Amino acid sequence: MDEKEIIKIHNVTKRFGGLVALDKVTFNIYKGEILGIIGPNGAGKTTLFNCITGVYRPDDGKIFFNGLDITGKPPHRITQLGIVKTHQIVKPFNEFTVLENAMIGALFGRRAGKISKDEAREIALKNLELVGLIEKKDELASGLTLHEKKFLELARALSAEPEVILLDEALAGLNPKEVEESLDIVRMINKELGKTIVMVEHVMHAVMNVANRIVVLHFGKLLAEGSPKEVAEMPEVITAYLGDKDLALKFVKR
Amino acid sequence: MDIDEFFKRPTPLFILILLIVILIAKLLRLETTDYLITIMFFIGIAMALNIIMGFAGYVSFGHTVFLGISGYVFALLVYYNRDFANLMNMYSGIPIFFIALLAGGVSALVAFLVGIPVLKLKGAFFAIATIGLDFAALYIIKAFIPILNPEFFGAQIILPAYALAYKDNVFVAMYITFALIIIANYLIRRSRFGMGLLAISEDEDAAEALGVPTTKYKLISFALSAFFTGMLGAVFGLNSGGVDENLFNLAHTIDMIVMIVIGGIGTVMGPLVGSIIYFILYDTLLVTYPEFNLVILGFIVAVIVLFAPRGVVGILRGKQFMGKKLRDIIE
Amino acid sequence: MTILTDLLINLTSGFLWGTVLGAVSVGLTLIWGVMKVVNLAHGESILLGAYVVSALYLFLNVDPLLAMFVALVSGLLLGFAIYWLGLHKIIGHVDVVTLRIEMSTLLEMFAISIILYNIYSFLTRSEPFGIGIWHLTPISYINLGYMSIQVNHLTAAALSLVATFIIYQFISKTPTGKAIRAVMQDSQAAALVGINPVRIKMLTTVISIGFTAFSGFLVVLYESAVVPSISYKYAPLAFTIVVLGGLGSIIGSYIAGIIIGVTYGVSKVIFSVLVSKNASDPLALTMAFIILVLTLLLKPEGLFGVKR
Repeated sequence: MDEKEIIKIHNVTKRFGGLVALDKVTFNIYKGEILGIIGPNGAGKTTLFNCITGVYRPDDGKIFFNGLDITGKPPHRITQLGIVKTHQIVKPFNEFTVLENAMIGALFGRRAGKISKDEAREIALKNLELVGLIEKKDELASGLTLHEKKFLELARALSAEPEVILLDEALAGLNPKEVEESLDIVRMINKELGKTIVMVEHVMHAVMNVANRIVVLHFGKLLAEGSPKEVAEMPEVITAYLGDKDLALKFVKR
Repeated sequence: MDIDEFFKRPTPLFILILLIVILIAKLLRLETTDYLITIMFFIGIAMALNIIMGFAGYVSFGHTVFLGISGYVFALLVYYNRDFANLMNMYSGIPIFFIALLAGGVSALVAFLVGIPVLKLKGAFFAIATIGLDFAALYIIKAFIPILNPEFFGAQIILPAYALAYKDNVFVAMYITFALIIIANYLIRRSRFGMGLLAISEDEDAAEALGVPTTKYKLISFALSAFFTGMLGAVFGLNSGGVDENLFNLAHTIDMIVMIVIGGIGTVMGPLVGSIIYFILYDTLLVTYPEFNLVILGFIVAVIVLFAPRGVVGILRGKQFMGKKLRDIIE
Repeated sequence: MTILTDLLINLTSGFLWGTVLGAVSVGLTLIWGVMKVVNLAHGESILLGAYVVSALYLFLNVDPLLAMFVALVSGLLLGFAIYWLGLHKIIGHVDVVTLRIEMSTLLEMFAISIILYNIYSFLTRSEPFGIGIWHLTPISYINLGYMSIQVNHLTAAALSLVATFIIYQFISKTPTGKAIRAVMQDSQAAALVGINPVRIKMLTTVISIGFTAFSGFLVVLYESAVVPSISYKYAPLAFTIVVLGGLGSIIGSYIAGIIIGVTYGVSKVIFSVLVSKNASDPLALTMAFIILVLTLLLKPEGLFGVKR
């Protein structure tokens, strides 16, 4: 992991009516890392993702990607620049086949407009292979299980050939075995494909295990930042979120 | 695309056969020219609406507004401009096609401008807004056409004899327009643009998140759809010898939507097959039960929406044919 | 006659027509607001009531004031049939109405509208059909200086107010009404507290179509005769009014109806001065649709709706 920041989040504030969802949040995301974002419900994790991907426009502050100001750009532009998000609630194109789903990612991703349909198919197939959906490529996406749909989301995102992948609770609703499988794939995408990964996660032990670094949000504010071990030992994090120090350390060990 | 693949896929083959059949029917005088023009008009409006309703999933109930706008633009152009009127019977009707392009362009422009705000609406709200636009345009035409020229009877413009075209010339213009529309449908369906539109119809937010420029795509498809609808309105108006407010009639909307629903949303084959079925049904029912043909058609649509939401072609899509999924063949 | 008296006359008639429009829209706001069903057969539901009253009056000499209850019942029955034959299969057992389901119900109602419309056209041969010169009081006009007002218009306005008040009380006070409102706000939560969603959806359809058919009586009272194509005038206006008033809001619909009626009346005077007498009517109707599009864009939740 080189210490070069790929995304800079500077002073980002987002309000919904009277509610401050994000309050002057500032931190960097470094190239090649796996960053975990944790925090209790309503801490502003999903709002932060939506600000980065352009779904929301921050009320204040700036977001830079590779030095380029991307604040307020429309979502499809940000995807084409190289940041892709998978959805917390999976959104496959149900009437498309699995392959077509992934092809959409390739056709409209980083190389949008500069890629032929055949190339897009190649990329899509490669990524379906990677997530283990290759046998189902000709089935309709509506027929997949939740677990498979989550993998399809990932394959679709990968096909856009991003530099950064944002995973929004990709593990929620999966059983322990499926969580392990998913984590292996996340590690592989990070190590072998060199993608920077940012994950918002509720499955604590998973994120503590896989992430190089953790950012803790609490009521829209940045509470802590550091390695999983450091974060788990910070008293303010323990009181705010983990509750119990022993429990926290146990998560790290597992 | 190489020739082999061309014949493996039935959609282009079907389009080609359809175009040839119409041409043969015309040359051998199997049907009257009027009948053929009407068939092409019917199939054409379904295919034109298909670009926004079938591909992007935006059900427009006010599409007749574009039949009306371009119909009136065309009629006014040839009514007031002797040069245009003289072209009606020159070069076997090809100039008619070009003036229709112009009239369609006006509809496309209107659709583009109106689309910027209106396409922000989703689902039923979009449908309702388009109904509103249709009525707004209708009432505006009703108000201003009589002021324009007291010779017009109400909002009706009857083309003077010098501005009328021979049926054969209208046929040529309609034929080119018709071919243009179905080929455009096919090309869109096969293109990256078409995949983007279908993604929008499945889940607009997910499509945007994956890099599909949804706003731009919706606008382009709405304008294209309006453009083709407008061209048909223009040529059809000429064929009828004039235009009146009936061009705005919601009955045409019924025709368009029913044809797409019968055939199936999301494909090229769907509305193509649907409009042919509709036309045959309409024709036979009209002869057998002139009073009830629309009632029966209404029942058919009601049943299809309930039991085959993806239409006739949708039923076939799930079936296997000679070891191959029909879905792959149809598209 | 000065412009001022002209304005006053049109303001009054616009207001009276607006109350009828308001009542006509109440049924639509219920079915659309509660069930997300875009009732494209709304115009045909109005016509049912208008035709029932007119037929009873013309053929059996039944007093329209009595026949209006038959219109109501005929609408309840139509609603029952529409729910079980057309809607139940699509929305009976779904909690969250997706865009696709919304489009299905919209197309289903569209098909029903085609069926009804053409049955009416066949039965009436598209000739005007109505209660003719029937009116409540011995005199048919009330003269007020420059202005004369039709008694039937006043009757329609008064009845629209009473009927809207009754249905508002029903929805806000009775247990059934409360259950309907609960489903409107959150159908999943409503199911959790033991409300049977299928029953509520069926009842909402029945009540909505029933009330709409009743409002058809007000339309025929106002217009004195109807033709099938009058649904092309009233249904789009009702959609405009429902959007303006806010989905699901009964009071909102009634007030929005009056707003649209008054706007029509006033802009008619303005356009007849600015453009011409003949052009004033269509242009005044155009105003309604300009209001529709503006509402959708600027305040999509409407005047009295809940922001979602």
